[in-house]
Amino acid sequence: MRRVYRKPETFFVLFLLVLGVGISTISWGYGFGSLNKPGPGLYPFFIGLAIAIFSLFILIAEFRADPVEPALDRAGVTKLVFMTLTFSLWIVAMPLLGYVAVTLLATYAFCKIMKLEGWRKPLAVSAGTTLFIYLLFDHWLYIDLPRGLLG
Amino acid sequence: MEGFALLYSGFVNSFTTVNLVACFVGALIGTLVGVLPGLGPTATMVLMLPFTLPYGPTTGLIMLTGVWYGAMYGGSTTSVLVNIPGEAASVVTCIDGYQMCRQGRAGSALALVAMGSFVAGTIGILGLQFFAPVLGNAALSFGPPEFLCFMILAFVLLSNLSAEAPLKGALMIALGLFLSTIGITPMDSYPRFTFGSEKLMLGIDFLPVAVGLFGVSEILKIAIEKYVKPVVNQVRLRELYPNREEMRRSIGPTLRGSILGFFVGLLPGPCTVISTFVAYALEKRISKTPHRFGHGAVEGVVAPESANNSAVMGSMIPLLTLGIPFAAPSAIMLAGLRMHNVEPGPMLFVTNPDVFWTFIAAMYLGNLMLLVLNLPLVGAFARIAVIRPPILMPIISLICLVGVYSVRNSLFDVWVMIAAGVVGYFLRRWKYPIAPFIIGVVLGPTTENSLRQTLLMFKGDVSLIVDRPLSITLLALAAAFLAYKFMAPQKTYALQVEEGKSL
Repeated sequence: MRRVYRKPETFFVLFLLVLGVGISTISWGYGFGSLNKPGPGLYPFFIGLAIAIFSLFILIAEFRADPVEPALDRAGVTKLVFMTLTFSLWIVAMPLLGYVAVTLLATYAFCKIMKLEGWRKPLAVSAGTTLFIYLLFDHWLYIDLPRGLLG
Repeated sequence: MEGFALLYSGFVNSFTTVNLVACFVGALIGTLVGVLPGLGPTATMVLMLPFTLPYGPTTGLIMLTGVWYGAMYGGSTTSVLVNIPGEAASVVTCIDGYQMCRQGRAGSALALVAMGSFVAGTIGILGLQFFAPVLGNAALSFGPPEFLCFMILAFVLLSNLSAEAPLKGALMIALGLFLSTIGITPMDSYPRFTFGSEKLMLGIDFLPVAVGLFGVSEILKIAIEKYVKPVVNQVRLRELYPNREEMRRSIGPTLRGSILGFFVGLLPGPCTVISTFVAYALEKRISKTPHRFGHGAVEGVVAPESANNSAVMGSMIPLLTLGIPFAAPSAIMLAGLRMHNVEPGPMLFVTNPDVFWTFIAAMYLGNLMLLVLNLPLVGAFARIAVIRPPILMPIISLICLVGVYSVRNSLFDVWVMIAAGVVGYFLRRWKYPIAPFIIGVVLGPTTENSLRQTLLMFKGDVSLIVDRPLSITLLALAAAFLAYKFMAPQKTYALQVEEGKSL
């Protein structure tokens, strides 16, 4: 029997339901005003209400429907985590090490996560990408990107 | 005659080096995006936004439309040669296009598609040129109630046409509208949902959200999916000659597809995709030999490809005349124009007519450029289709990171982009359409302003809306559509549009 993977979606919709209720509650505090003099809370109040109602209906439909979504396998989860980590590390390291070094390393990491074999090809892609980014942003668009310690 | 004088000045303006280069670069990148399975035109247009900032609004608009337009041209190449649609609007082309390729008529199919796209593009631009100023003038008399009702109708249609489950489409619109409320309200300078954060006072910037949802989520999806190397059928330049019979059979479908596509382009939702399905169905229905469809009928290739090109131009009408984007790419264009402090809508033809007419002139040139670019380089584009994701995706990832950072030199924006990317990946997995969300974000402030101005105008008495014929007609249309959806028997459409590639 095929494994199914529906629970995260159910939790996501549940979260949206709570979010909708939260938006409406907070909006009420901003001042609802009246129909002839609407306050800043009127519009988001109704949006929150709409989010809550739509989420509730989707949640009901979710419980009724047969779970069909195939599971994200271990390799998929690993790739997702490592891709996200590489994106995040670029942000953390870029102001310190400068965009040139970090871009080179991040591109190499992305290549390896996506299973580009060997080390020559990833290195060539990384070097090419870094050069392209340097020429595009630094030389063409004159954008002052952090150069950091290694810049 | 005034229109021709304005068009002439548009041609003069568009013949600047920067505009011609923008047009060429947009068309070339669009064609590449159309050829490469993966990033769609919307994601690419978002990624291009930061690069348009140093230039004027016209140049930016020309480049972005070139991308959208080029993707429609390029998408057909892989459909015919590889049986893989480069983007969702070329799915239908695979059916008969690949069969023509197997019969040794790939060159002929590609030549006819290129010529059909050129004719359709020209018809679309003509339609835009003549209808947009007229509608723009008419829209000058619209007040806040009309704009509000237009947006309600657009949201109703969009939620139904963009998703398999309309409720998911509606939920995404509502979430987009909510996101636009974060920050200080323009009407009464009141901070909402900022929770004391200074960064949130100015609101969540559109660009990182859009790059995350369309770009990063697509990168994550491609990284996780298993890659199957496509087999590309080669085609030579000398093979690009359709025979007389094929030429004769393609004239009618090209013209019908062009006109149909233009009007379908006016609908909210994935208009370019819908136009191809409608054009294919129409050709099959009126054909004297419907049994040939699916076995290499030239009509089944030319009509959808003509339709998706003219649909691009049709969908520019609501954007330019009302300032209301009905599709994700036009929402990106609206955001781009706003970055340049140009507000599309009825006033565009009064305050910035040069933007419109230069854009029209550049599109004529762009259409010609695409024809010249696509015919001789078709073999090269086909080879590009086999570039593996492990080479392409790291490059695009870094362009996303540096591109978003470079707009405001803000690392917070890059965090927003990554968060949006991860959320977007799961939204795609669970089949939540992203386009309605983005349109909700872009239209949020206008919707709120229209609502509050309408309530002030009517002094809280919403029943006064019956005194506004256009408003009540639009609301009646929205209600009728909803009633039809509830009462009509449920149908399952085979149109499984991959989100992000679809709009």
